[in-house]
Amino acid sequence: MREQPLKEVTQLIHAIKMGLVEGSYSITNKTLDIFKYIIMSKSWDSADALMQIVRAQSRILQAALPQETVTSNIARRILKLTREEFELLQAKVQHFADDSQASLSLHKLVTQTSESCVSVDYSVPQQGLREALLDHLQEVETELETSSENISVQAEEHIHSSEIILTLGHSRSVENFLKRAIKKRQFLTIIVAECAPACRGHNLAATLAQEKNVEIIVIPDASIFAMMSRINKVIIGTHSVLANGGLRAACGANTVALAAKHYSVPVIVLAPMYKLSPLHLCEQDAFNMVGCAEDVIAYDSMPARDAKVYSPMFDYVAPELVTLFISNAGGHAPSYVYRLLSELYHPDDLEL
Amino acid sequence: MVIKSEQGSSTSAVTKQKKQRQRNRPRNKRNRLEDIEDKSEQDSAMQKSSSNPQQNASADKTREQVMAEREAKKQAKLAKKQKSITPATTIITEVEQTTITQKLTTTTTTTTKEQSQLPLRSTNVADPKTASQSAQNSTDSFNPTAPASEKTREQIKAEREAKKAAKQAAKSAKSNNVDAAAKQLNNLQVATKIEAAPAAAATATGAAATADHEKKKPALTKAERRAIQEAQRAAKAQGQAKKTTATPGTVKSAAGNSVKATPNVSVTTHKEHKPDKDDKVDSPAKSPSKGGTVKADRECKVKLFNHLVSADKDASLFINDPNVHPSMARLGVQYAQRTIVGSNARCIAFLHALRQVVQDFETPAKKEFGRSLDVAVKHHVDHLNKCRPLAVSVYNAYKQFKNQLTQLPTDTPETELKELLGHFIDTYIENQIGKAAQAISSSMQEKITDGDVLLTFACSSLIQFICEEAKRRKVTFRVIVVDSRPFCEGQEMLRRLHACGIPCTYVLINAISYVMPEATKVMLGAHALLANGYVMARTGTAQVALVANSHNVPVLVCCETHKFSERFQTDAIVYNELCDPNLLVMDEKCSLNNWQSKSRLTPLNLSYDITPPELVSAVVTEVAILPCTSVPVILRIKPDIGY
Repeated sequence: MREQPLKEVTQLIHAIKMGLVEGSYSITNKTLDIFKYIIMSKSWDSADALMQIVRAQSRILQAALPQETVTSNIARRILKLTREEFELLQAKVQHFADDSQASLSLHKLVTQTSESCVSVDYSVPQQGLREALLDHLQEVETELETSSENISVQAEEHIHSSEIILTLGHSRSVENFLKRAIKKRQFLTIIVAECAPACRGHNLAATLAQEKNVEIIVIPDASIFAMMSRINKVIIGTHSVLANGGLRAACGANTVALAAKHYSVPVIVLAPMYKLSPLHLCEQDAFNMVGCAEDVIAYDSMPARDAKVYSPMFDYVAPELVTLFISNAGGHAPSYVYRLLSELYHPDDLEL
Repeated sequence: MVIKSEQGSSTSAVTKQKKQRQRNRPRNKRNRLEDIEDKSEQDSAMQKSSSNPQQNASADKTREQVMAEREAKKQAKLAKKQKSITPATTIITEVEQTTITQKLTTTTTTTTKEQSQLPLRSTNVADPKTASQSAQNSTDSFNPTAPASEKTREQIKAEREAKKAAKQAAKSAKSNNVDAAAKQLNNLQVATKIEAAPAAAATATGAAATADHEKKKPALTKAERRAIQEAQRAAKAQGQAKKTTATPGTVKSAAGNSVKATPNVSVTTHKEHKPDKDDKVDSPAKSPSKGGTVKADRECKVKLFNHLVSADKDASLFINDPNVHPSMARLGVQYAQRTIVGSNARCIAFLHALRQVVQDFETPAKKEFGRSLDVAVKHHVDHLNKCRPLAVSVYNAYKQFKNQLTQLPTDTPETELKELLGHFIDTYIENQIGKAAQAISSSMQEKITDGDVLLTFACSSLIQFICEEAKRRKVTFRVIVVDSRPFCEGQEMLRRLHACGIPCTYVLINAISYVMPEATKVMLGAHALLANGYVMARTGTAQVALVANSHNVPVLVCCETHKFSERFQTDAIVYNELCDPNLLVMDEKCSLNNWQSKSRLTPLNLSYDITPPELVSAVVTEVAILPCTSVPVILRIKPDIGY
C-alpha cells in the first residue's frame, strides 16, 4: 500500500528543499515536532499502529530527502521509544503475574529462552502509552536542545592553550566548541579552510574573529596540506556518522583527514548523537549529492560548454582516519560507534 | 643604459666649481655645522641606543631602518677605532676611500699616508671646501629608498670598484694639472674630517667618489652609482638620527639648497640632476612605499609567516628606477601583477627581456664588457626579485647566463659578444625548455594509453603539451582538471585542452576524492624539484598527490631539469611566497570583506607547497623517468644546472 504523506511532512520537505530549514539541528527539531504531532493525534490506538505511521512517514521523508539521514534517525529513536514504553507498560501489567520480567537480572539473562523475547504483541492497545511517550519525547527534545552545549562543554578536555587548530567549512557544533575553547584557553590559533565553492569557512572565521585572544587564519582549500605540518588538532563537524565509524562530511573533509593522517595530527569529529545513522556506505556514489556547478565555473564561460563540472556536497571519510568522536554523551572511538548504534536504535528498526 | 652625456661637460668643471665654491661658502658652513650637530646627536643616540625611547620604542621599525642604524653604528665604531689606531690598519669603506685618495695625492704632494692624514686632521675644521661639501650635501638629497637588504655585498663590490677606479684615476692623475690635484687634496680633507664624524662617514665616501668622478668621469660610472647608493643609505641613517631629535627638515632643506645651488658646477650638475629628478619622482612614491610597508606588516601578520615578505605591489616603485631597462621594468610589473605566471613562462619572458638588456647594453668606457654587464644584469635581477621572488627556473637561467658571462672571450668585439650571448639565450630557451618538453612528452606518450583518465592540477604548459601530443596521436583519453581558488588557473588549462578537443572534467580541489576513483594517472607540473626530492609546486599539488596515493593512483610529476634546485626544504613554510590575501575575498557579500579592520582575522594565500617524495611515483624529466630521490644525481651529472 502506498502511504500518503501528512500535510506537515510535505511542508517540511518543501521547506528543506527550498533551503528554508537548514542544518541538521533544525531539521531534526522539525522532524521531531512532526512525530510529536503524530503521537498526539488520535489516529492510532495501538503501539503497532503508531509504529506503522511513523515508519511510513519517515520512509516518505527519506525518499524525498535521501541525503538527510537525521529524519530517519529520529524516526528510529521514536520507534525504539515506543517499543520500550510499550514493553515497560506491558511489564507493569504482567508484574503481578511474573515478577522476574520487570528487570533484566542476571538470572533472567541466563534463563531467558529465545521465544520469550520474540513474541511481543504490539498490536494490543495499551493504556497510558501516549502519555508515557510524550513524557519521553520531552526528554529527547531536551537532549536535542542541549546537545550542542554538551559537546562544547568538553572543549576544555581536548584543547590546551596556544594550540593551532584546523577546521573546515562551517559547522554549528564546531563554532560553539571553538568559541568555548577560545574563552577557556589563551593564544589559540584557528585555521579555517574556506571550503569552496560555498566558502562557508569565511562565515565561521568572521564569527570567531569577534572573540578575543585568538588568531584566525583563513586559507584556501589548496593550502590544507601545506599548513597541516604546523597543526596540533583538526576539529571538524560532520553531516552524519556511518555505522562503521566513517563520516559523511562536507566536501574536502577526506583531504583534511588524509593530510592529518599523513602528519599524524589527531582528527576530532564533533557529532551529536542524532547524527549517528545505521548506514553502511563507503562509496562516493552511494550517498553523494552534486550541487550547483555554477559556483565552480560560470555557465557562460567557454570551456564550461563541453566540460563536465561536478560540485559534490559530501566526502566519505574512512573510520581509520578519525581519531575521536565527541558527542553529547562524551567521547567515543570510531570502533565503538556500532555499539552506540545498537544502544540507540532497536535492531528491528535499522531497516525502516 | 649608463649615463652618457656626462663626458662632454667635464671640461669647464673646475672653473665653475670655483665660482660655486665661493658662492656656496656661507651656506655650506651652516650645513657643515648642522652636519656636525647631527653627528653628535647621532653619537649620543647611539650610545644610549638601547634606552632611547624614540629610536627604539618603535618595535615596528622596518628592516631597512634597522639595517641603516646598524650601518651607522658600524661606522661610528670604525671611526673610533680609527682615532685610536693608525688609519692604515682599518679595513672598511671610508678608510679605503681615504687611502685611495691619498694614493691620488701622492702623485703630486709626495706625502706618505700618515703625513697626509695628520695635517689634514688639524686643518679640516678650518677649511670647508665647497665643491666636495656641496657634493656631499647633494648626496643627502638622494632618495634614500635604496634597497638595504643586499647592502653588504653591494657595498663590498662598490668598494672594490671604487678602489679600482681610483687606481685608474691615480694613473691618469699624473697627467693632470696641479689644480686638480689640489682639489683632490681638498676632497681628501673633507673626507678625513668626516671620518672623524662617524655619522656622516658614508656620505664622505659618496663625496669622495663624486669628487673622484669629477675628474675621472668616464671610468667611474659604476663606482659612482654604488657610492651614491651607499651615500643614500648613510643619508638615511643620518635622517633617522635627526628624526629622533625632532629636526626632520634640516637635512632635506640643506640638501635641497645645495642641489639648487649646484647647477653651476657643470659636471656635478648632470650627476646630481638624475638623482634629483629621482628624488622628485620618488617623493610622492615615498608615501605609498610607507603605506606599503604598513600593508606588508598587515599582510605578514600570520605569525608563522612573519619571515616571508610579500611582494610590494606598488608599481610606482618599479617603474621609476632609471637604471632598469624598460623591458625588465615591464617584466617586473608583469611578474608583480601575475600576468606572467608559471615557471616556464617566467623563465622565457626573463630570457627575452635579458636579451633586450644585452642588446641595448653599452659598456662604460674603460670597463670590461662582461663584468659591467654582469653588474647591470644583477641589478635587473634584484629589481625583478623585488617585484616578485624569483622563480627557481629564472634563477637557474640567470646563473647560467652569469656563468656564460665569465667565460666570454676578452679579445672579441662587443657586438660579437652580444651576438654570442643572444645565441646562448636562444639555445637555452630551445634546449632547456623547448626540447626538454618534447623529450618529456615523448616519454610520457608511452604512459598514456587508450581509455586513460588523466588527472591534473591547475595549469601547466608542459602537461598541456603532453596532452596535445597524445591527442595528436589519436589516443582516446580524457582529462580531469582539478582547480583551486583563488587563482583558478585550471580554468585556463581547461580552456586550452578544450581548444584541442580533449574531453575534460573540471572540479575544485575539495571534490578531489569524488573524482579520484575515476582517474588512472595523475600528472602534475612542478615549480621546482628540490635536492631532497621534494616537489615544489602550486599549492594544492601535494593534496592531489596525497589523495591519489590513498586511492593508489600513480602520480607522475613532469619537470624539466632546468627547474631543479639545490635547495633542501622539508615544509612549505620556511620558504614560500605570499600572494595577495585579498584574492580570497569573494565578493561584496563575503564575510571576509574588510578583514583588515578585524585585527584577529587574516586570510592567508600561499603560492607553493611541498610534496614529499613518498607521494610521488616518478618524476619525468628529459633525461629519464626517475624516482624523486634521484634529483641530486641529476644535479651532479648535469652540473651546469641549479647552483
